[in-house]
Amino acid sequence: MKKKSIALGMAVCLCVGIFTGCGKDGEGAQTVQSEQGGQNGQDSRETEQPSVVNTVFNGELERDVTIQVLENDTAVSKGYFAELIEAFNEKYAEYGIKAVDANMDQYLDLANDGPYGYGPDVLYQANDIIMQYAEGKHIYPLPVEKMECFAQVPETAWAAYRIDLEGTVYTCGVPVNVQAPMLYYRKDLLPEDWETAWDENGNKIPDMAENWNAMYAWSVRRHGENSSQYGYMKSLFDVYFSSGFLFTYGGYIFGNNNTEPADIGFSAGEAEKGAWVLSQLASTMNEECIDDSITTNAYSKLADGTYFATITTPDMYSTFLEEMILVYEEEGLSKDEARAKAEENLVMTTLPALPESGDLTEEGASFVDTKSMGGVNGYAISAYTKHPNACLAFVEFATSYDMMVRRSELLGIAPARNDAADTAGGTSQLLYNNLEAGNIVLMPSIKEVSQIWTPGETFFIDLAKDAFRPEGEKKYTDLDAMKKGLEGVDQQIYDAIFTLK
Amino acid sequence: MKEKWNKFISAAHGSSWKVRLSAVVMGGGQFLYGSYGKGILYFLLEAGIIAYMVLRGFRDIQGFFTLGTQKGDPWLGTVGDNSVIMLLMGIFAWIIVAAFFYLYQLNLKDAWHTQKIVESGKRPLSFKEELAQLMDKKFYITVLILPVLGVCVFNVLPIVFMILIAFTNYGGDIVPPELVDWVGAANFEKLIALSQFAPTFFKILGWNLLWAVVSTILNYFLGLGLALLLDKECVKGKALWRAFPILAYAIPGFITLLAFKFMFSYGGPINQMITDAGNMATGFLDLDAKWMARGIGVLVNCWISVPSIMLLATGHLSNRDMSLYEAARIDGAGRWKQFQRLTMPFMLFATTPVLLSQFIGNFNNFGIFYFLRGGLYVDGYFLASDTDLLINWLYNLSIDNNYYCIGAAISLVIFMITSLISLVIYVKSPSYREEDTFQ
Repeated sequence: MKKKSIALGMAVCLCVGIFTGCGKDGEGAQTVQSEQGGQNGQDSRETEQPSVVNTVFNGELERDVTIQVLENDTAVSKGYFAELIEAFNEKYAEYGIKAVDANMDQYLDLANDGPYGYGPDVLYQANDIIMQYAEGKHIYPLPVEKMECFAQVPETAWAAYRIDLEGTVYTCGVPVNVQAPMLYYRKDLLPEDWETAWDENGNKIPDMAENWNAMYAWSVRRHGENSSQYGYMKSLFDVYFSSGFLFTYGGYIFGNNNTEPADIGFSAGEAEKGAWVLSQLASTMNEECIDDSITTNAYSKLADGTYFATITTPDMYSTFLEEMILVYEEEGLSKDEARAKAEENLVMTTLPALPESGDLTEEGASFVDTKSMGGVNGYAISAYTKHPNACLAFVEFATSYDMMVRRSELLGIAPARNDAADTAGGTSQLLYNNLEAGNIVLMPSIKEVSQIWTPGETFFIDLAKDAFRPEGEKKYTDLDAMKKGLEGVDQQIYDAIFTLK
Repeated sequence: MKEKWNKFISAAHGSSWKVRLSAVVMGGGQFLYGSYGKGILYFLLEAGIIAYMVLRGFRDIQGFFTLGTQKGDPWLGTVGDNSVIMLLMGIFAWIIVAAFFYLYQLNLKDAWHTQKIVESGKRPLSFKEELAQLMDKKFYITVLILPVLGVCVFNVLPIVFMILIAFTNYGGDIVPPELVDWVGAANFEKLIALSQFAPTFFKILGWNLLWAVVSTILNYFLGLGLALLLDKECVKGKALWRAFPILAYAIPGFITLLAFKFMFSYGGPINQMITDAGNMATGFLDLDAKWMARGIGVLVNCWISVPSIMLLATGHLSNRDMSLYEAARIDGAGRWKQFQRLTMPFMLFATTPVLLSQFIGNFNNFGIFYFLRGGLYVDGYFLASDTDLLINWLYNLSIDNNYYCIGAAISLVIFMITSLISLVIYVKSPSYREEDTFQ
């Protein structure tokens, strides 16, 4: 009997084990099924699509509701998000509207989770992610023309959130900040004679920050003088940062304004010149540029002076600054002194210009603006929210002048509002000028963009590796070889998109 | 088959009207013969299944074939059909239908047996006695009923679902709220028709087999060796030594893999030591490091897997009949001979199924090269690198692209390969052929 009791117990345990973890999903499925049964395809708010925006956002604030907001991790960790929701909740307390942290992974899957009642009401994401949701109508089109921020946000930023569905153009997100690679360098590591020898145009900006030829020359010299120190350092594999060099010379991602996935243009124009530039820059670095080592250690190495410069996104400014403060504190400075010194020595600016020829050693070269891949991060409202008007009120509040300025102060980002960008200062304005001038190539908003990364990364790794291969084994010895390599990238992306389509 | 049919026909002819009633109303015969409890239970089961079928079963089966007709539109609040859920619920409905036929057959058999008992002048068992039997003669039913139900819902259903996905166009642009359709064998035809696949498939399959064999053998023998070593009387502080591999085993695999990736990276400690010694940094896992990266993969896999084999072997070794070793020593057998003739046959017999699961696990080991050397497409391979296993390639081709249907089709192909290999190995193993040896 004892044995049987044990066997019975084990059977029950087995069943409990099997049933474990099936609670929520099952419940979710049940809910959807019952909804299907109840509505069976009948539309309670049947309206023509052009009036969807007005029907959903009718201006009547839902009362006593809680809206879940998904912010980016940096905004949460730096305390900005807490400030934002506190201020919003205070303002809308009379309506009983409360915003809370959705407390979800940034890489959510709204398309699959939304219909089952999971996912945030308001989400902050990059334009390419938001617009992929827009294609499946998982986020609502917004009445942006009625929003206070509309006139302040430039047309190029709004364009990143527009989608043409069944002949009607909708705007599905509100731009918050512009993301594009920025050059970070240490002012105190410039050569002592930079004002006389490295400022050809006498504008008090070192040539290294103005053109890549000077950056290359300084990198060679710095490493030559001390083999443990480097000039410009960056892991080349990262397509987000490296592809801009190709775009400068005529390359592009997808044709027809990044909407035609069959037309892939990493090798278009004279993109091979961009590859050549990268190859020359790699030769002044060490092997760590082949993998992600530099990306990982750039903060500490720039802070301790091993690297002179690197590029990354503007929201990383505070991380660089914190690292430098730590180093200065270790050297014996007080917290305030360390901060003041770090702020003085760390410079974030737009990318230097590239030589038209692609030759970083060319004397008297003529230069062109460097293009870069970028994005516009913004807010969107889930089409599965039960409180769209409360969500819109939150987005209005979060994109107001005051909050955008505060966001910029705390996170070091470039605001999407012109007035906030003006207040924030020079870099933000520079970023905008670049966006307006077409020097920031916004990430395509079609889902095929997910196929560009691996082929691109492989090519850039190969290119970086080539700088360290013995002479006889080098693969990219001339521009033709680089062109061929880039054509291979185009082909791989095409295969990845269309082979199984 | 014919014999069974004849038996059924003769039973049908010899059955009473009460048994025939059971063919229409389940439990009717049992009830009329005095087995009230059982009769009511069968009736309730029939009523329950009919209610389920009316309320949603028939709709789910219909949905299984159509996979939805109404597309959802979140902007307009149109819920629409979710093809994936419909497929899942359709399979569930089929399982219920199958269960109904099984219960129906049981009901007829039981009614007929009850008739025979009554005809022989005995009293059919009361419901209480039947229940008592479930704790005695039929205890196996009590123990197995819930696990079998669980296996049907949580194992069989997802497996069938995955297999059926291979015959739909689910994936790519066709994900809910879009409606999925049945496409027959089109996905398999696509796999066969794509000429780019063949050379890469065979290259990867060759490496995959080599990887699985080498990894399994290395893991097994290193684990066994470690267990034997720590079993030695001369080893002091056994518990402490055993704790180290267990610690390696306890750390989540992907953390270990990321740590190894860092260690072997250009900026990692190994290259730091190499460059500090005045040498050029080595690309252990980079684009050109085909065999070196493969070797590192094998070693890292050993780091992760050997402790589990060591633990398993430690347990089995404690069950050895040590008198056999004593007799062998008296007969003059050395340590190698003892290992060869006693330890190995014993361990192989006891652990062949584990070896097989290790082989399958290694064959489908997604994490090792995904974390160590993911994100590369190498020349000569179609959207794959030279360290990718079939499972990694499958990921690149399908999941990475959201082509779930193609992923399911390739999974079926991989399943056929691994099941064939496993079956052959198992049938030839001592665990199967010499089942009685150690019993």
